[in-house]
Parts: sequence; structure tokens; C-alpha cells
Amino acid sequence: MNKILLIIQREYLSRVKKKSFIVMTLLTPIIIAAFYGLIIYFSIEGVKGTHSKVAVVNNNKALTEQLSSNKNISYTYVGQSLEDLKASFKKSDYDYILYLPPFELSKPTGIQLLGTKQAGLSLNGRISGDVENMIRNQKLKASGIAQADLDGLKTNVDIDNKKIGESGKEEDSSAGASTIIGTVAGILMFMFIMLYGIQVMRGVIEEKTSRIIEIMISSVKPFQLMMGKIVGIALVGLTQFILWIVLTASISTVAVTAFVGKDKLKESSGMVLKAKDGTTINTPATATVDSPVLSMQKSLASLPLTKIILVFIFFFIGGYLFYSALYAAIGSAVDSETETQQFMMPVMMPLLVGYALSLSVVANDPYGPIAFWLSMIPFTSPIAMVVRLPYGVPDWQLALSMLILVVGFIGTVWLASRIYRVGILMYGKKTSLKEMIKWFSYKN
Amino acid sequence: MLIINNIVKQYAAHRALDDVSLRVEKGKIFGLLGPNGAGKTSLIRIITQITGPDSGEVLFNGERLNVQHISQIGYLPEERGLYKKMEIGEQVLYLARLKGLSTAEATKRIRYWFEKLDMADWWNKKVEDLSKGMQQKVQFVATVLHKPELIILDEPFSGFDPVNADVIKNEILELNKEGATFIFSTHRMESVEELCDNIALIHRSKKILDGPMAEIKAQYRNNTYWLEYQGEYNTENAREIFEVLEHANIAGKTRLKIKIRENQNANQVLAALLPYVAISRLDEVIPTMNDIFIEKVTQQS
Repeated sequence: MNKILLIIQREYLSRVKKKSFIVMTLLTPIIIAAFYGLIIYFSIEGVKGTHSKVAVVNNNKALTEQLSSNKNISYTYVGQSLEDLKASFKKSDYDYILYLPPFELSKPTGIQLLGTKQAGLSLNGRISGDVENMIRNQKLKASGIAQADLDGLKTNVDIDNKKIGESGKEEDSSAGASTIIGTVAGILMFMFIMLYGIQVMRGVIEEKTSRIIEIMISSVKPFQLMMGKIVGIALVGLTQFILWIVLTASISTVAVTAFVGKDKLKESSGMVLKAKDGTTINTPATATVDSPVLSMQKSLASLPLTKIILVFIFFFIGGYLFYSALYAAIGSAVDSETETQQFMMPVMMPLLVGYALSLSVVANDPYGPIAFWLSMIPFTSPIAMVVRLPYGVPDWQLALSMLILVVGFIGTVWLASRIYRVGILMYGKKTSLKEMIKWFSYKN
Repeated sequence: MLIINNIVKQYAAHRALDDVSLRVEKGKIFGLLGPNGAGKTSLIRIITQITGPDSGEVLFNGERLNVQHISQIGYLPEERGLYKKMEIGEQVLYLARLKGLSTAEATKRIRYWFEKLDMADWWNKKVEDLSKGMQQKVQFVATVLHKPELIILDEPFSGFDPVNADVIKNEILELNKEGATFIFSTHRMESVEELCDNIALIHRSKKILDGPMAEIKAQYRNNTYWLEYQGEYNTENAREIFEVLEHANIAGKTRLKIKIRENQNANQVLAALLPYVAISRLDEVIPTMNDIFIEKVTQQS
């Protein structure tokens, strides 16, 4: 037992002390935080930045309705003729001229948008939408509908996702946040199993090629060496994962503050409070600006994050043990990394398939039969389950999946150890899958 | 010290060891000889408990071999290496602790050995910065550090220059004097001659020869002598006493390889020649381990 601890210690320290580990661990959160900050920055600055001033020349007597300004565009009705305006356009502070010629309401043609620069696709779309609205209102009015009725027709619908919990109580939920958390967790899980599984394989190959292996196993049992390596590297993975979470969280806070500025944060948090009170908010130009980011943050908070992180860690360890044992067996059977290809395929396939299906089928239908089975089979359950988790998974399914995974990794560890103990002592021989199966039945 | 009884080891279609029995006496240096693929490494792996025999038993100091004995055995494998990225001191410390030494004790002994073998400033060097010979020294230290009763060396001198080979040879002899028993597996017969008390020859999975080296060599004496003299002598006259195997004239001297006939001896050779020539040499050709090795192995094939 003491020997396993020694091996774990060496495997752990020798990796954590490496420069590449330190750089990766520090750099990744900075990159993530930078992305996070940039996204927020652009979602705020970007929307605000496209405000345009449009001078409207209305030559159409039939149009009594006016275009109303909104957060993106302010419309100003000018009395000048189009020619006069064009002549003085450069001196004015208008961005564009909207020319409304005389036309039949049923056939609006000849509307022009003039400017020194070409209007972008979204601005064009917005203006034409505004004009369409105006013309529709005009038509409705013409058919004798009162202004009050018209205003009453406008309805804004926000679907509030609520889940009915075990006790029948409503719980906040958000499909968007679940998808994002599920996808991120799935990708992380896939990366972790790949990255650290392959590290186990590399470690085994390194021991073989450097020929330390025979010195080692005259002191320790092959099983101890294999498990020590697997556990040591798992701890490296966990260390990295936890550091990433802590660092990303703290750097993000700093980064967001730096990018957006304290005022805006205050402003947006003020709005969240107001929204929770249920008081209606007048919609001035800036009110809707932050809401996508804010609603995301709000729904993130509604997810059981602690549970998700704990279950993630469990499935990471389980899935990693399941696969890394197989990687250890592969490493033991070859002399160099280039020879691993033929064995990597059968091990990688289920992981890749699980990854692809989890991010498509499972994310779209987290309660369907495919999602259920993928989250039960130990080859795919680590990824499928963390993708499903934010949508809510019945406890019995979670428990069953965990149990199957535990049984699964005990199975692969046992299987791998039987191949490993023979493989590590075979140098300079090309190994076939058939031979590996033969090793399996070797006596000690 | 070590008694091996009727070991059989089968690998799929290949029988690596076929009913091999050996005794290694305490405090002796035991030479385990045999051509490549004979089964030496398989036997050593059984003694070091890397693998187990299919049948037969190994007794270590009268006890059946078990995990407790791992810390009493030091093994320097033929295929040996070190972790490339680890520092030397740290690495030897790790290997010593795996053998059950405490950190403090191991550190003390590593310092002693590093001092002794001129490696004192190697502690913080990485393995990849050392030459092959230097690595071998480190491995040797790692093998003997935990003061094992039984030290198994597989081709210990490969990779050493003559100076360092000599250093290691002296360390082996010194450890042996202090009571350590050695099993020594090699192809280099001259080092067997220098070091071994007893030998066993394994060929094609079977033991074909074993015993004290002096006795084995005595068995292979066949009354062959070198005879060298100055002057003229017709060897036909001594036909009754010896037969000439080789004949050469070197710098005015005659050198013969002769085989003395049954019931005759070296004195009679001298008596026959003394009146005629000036004899400068008459000595027995004692077969080298190399000759015996080749003879036994080719005989079996």
C-alpha cells in the first residue's frame, strides 16, 4: 500500500512540477476569462454602438402615421425637400435620409434610403421593418380601428421556463443555460478523458522505452505500478480542473469589471433586482441592452451548480479510470507511440461516438431513449450523463449509471492489469490484438 | 541461500525453463551462463518475483519465496533505464524507498555511495544529461543501496569503459566480502573467470552443467600442454610419450602444443627432451570458460 502511495506521489509531482502543466493551468483560465469578458463587452457595446440618426422626408400625404424612434434608430421628420437636404447633407449630423415618395398604401414603392455610406444589412432590415409597421398601422387606422385598440394589439411574450420539482414546487429552469452548461461539461469531460487517458499511455510507454520498467517491477507489483500511475495522473487532472474553476471564476470577475466598468455592472444588477420585484420597467433605450447576458446569469444561478460539479467530478474520475486502464493496456503492448494507432481506434470509437451523440441527440432530447441508454453504458455515460444533468436526471437513473460505471471500471482495470503485466516485459515485438488476448490468459 | 527446485515455465508454445534446479551458496558469486534465449532472464524474473513458475519452487533462506524477500534482493536487469526527466538523487531515492528504506536512511546511503563512486555532484543532474556509463553507475547504486542479501546482476559490465568496469568489479568483490551473495549473468567469460565461484550453464531451457568453477575446469583438462624450446629435436623419438597437435617456429624457438599420452606425465616429457634442447616453457593448457561454454553449447546443438 505504502508503495502505491509512493508511486502516486511521484507520478503526481513529476507532472505538476512540469513547466507545461503550470503554463497550461494558468493560461487556460485567462483565455476563457478573456473570451467571457469579450462576449459581454460586445453584447453591450455592440448593440449601443449602432445607433443611427435618420432624417425622414415624407412626400406622401396619405401617411399620417409617423415612424417612432427606438433604441437603434432615431427618426427626425424634416420639412425640407429632398434636394435641399441632399445638398446640405454633409454638414448635417444625420447618418441617412429616408425618402418616402407618394405611393398607394397597397403598393409602397420608391422608398429610398440615402447616405454617404452604405447602410448595413441589419440597419436596412430594421428601417424597412419600421416602415412596414407604420404602413400597417396606417392601413388598420384606415379601416377604422381606434389607436387604443391598436396599442392593445401589441403583445410581448417571454416564456418563463419552470420545472415542476419532486414536491410539486416550481423550480426555475432555462433550456438555454442547461444546453450551455451541458455542452461545456460534455466537451470538458471528453477532453479530460482523452488528455489524461493518453497521458497514462505515454507514461507507460515512457517506462517501457526507457527500460526503467524492469527495475520498477522488481520492487513493486505491475498492478501497483499501473494503479499508482492511473491514480497519480487522475489527481493531476483534478488539480488542473479545480484550479481552472477557481482561477476562471476569479479572473472572470476581474476581467468583466475591467471590460465593462463598474457602473454598468451596478446598473445591470439594479435591473435584476427590479425584475425580481415584479415591478414593470419603463423601456428606455438601454433597458434591454444587457438582458441576454443577465437572463443567462440568472438562469445559471437557478441550476444546481454544486450538484453538477460534484457529479461531474464523479463521472470524470469514473470515466477516466474506465478509459485510462484501457490506455495503460495499450501502452504496455507497444514500444513507441507510433505503434499505438491500431489499438487506439477501438478505444477511441465509443468515446467519440458518445461525444458526438451527446452533443446532438442527447442535448436535443435529454429524456429520450437514446439519451437514457447512452447515459447508462459506461463507454459513453461519463459524457452523456453530464450533458443530461443540467436538464434534470431522475436520481435513480443517476445512481444506476454511477453503479454501472463503477462496475465498468473495476472490469477494465482488471482486464487491463492482466494485459499490462505481460506487455510491459515484451520489448521489440510487434503485438497483435490476438496476442494481447492470449496474454490475458497467461498465468503469473 | 537460494534453492531452486524443478522450475518449469511455459510461455504459450515456448518452454522457457524445463525442470531447472540450482543451488546458490551463501556468500558466493554464482555465474549464470548460457547463450541468448536460453532462459536465463526467465529464471531471474522468477527469482525476482516478476513472474511465477508454472511448477517447481524457489526457497530463499529455506523459506518459500514471497513478497517479504523483495527488499532482500537487488536486481540490475540487462534491459535497464531510468526516468529521463527525473533528477538523479531524487530518482535513486525513489527506487530506494520502493525497496522499503526511509527517506533519511536512503539519503544517507545515497550520499555515501555517490561520494564513493565519484558521483557526488550528480544529485541534481537529469538522467538525459548523463552518458550511458554514468547511468549504469547510478543503476548499480540503486541496485545495492538497500543492502540486499542477494544481488542479481544481468550483464553488469555492458556499457562501462574498462576503468569504470574495474571500479564496479571491485565494488562487487567488496560487497561479496561483506557477505552479499551474487548471481551474475553474462556472456563475457573473462569476467566469469575473474569473479565466479560457482557456475551453471543453461541451454535451450535446460541446465546442462553446474558446479564449482575450479572443478568444472579440472574436468575439462585433457593433458594438453604448451612446450617451447630452443634447439633441434625430432619429436618422432618421443612418440610414445606425447602427440603433437600444433607446431610453430617463432623467433628461433619451436613452440608445440602437445597431448601427453595416457600413463605418461610432464616429467617424462622433460626427461626425454632435456639432453637435447633448452626448454623455456612447459605448461598445461587449462580450458577457459569460453572453451567450455562453446564446447558444451555446440555439443548440445
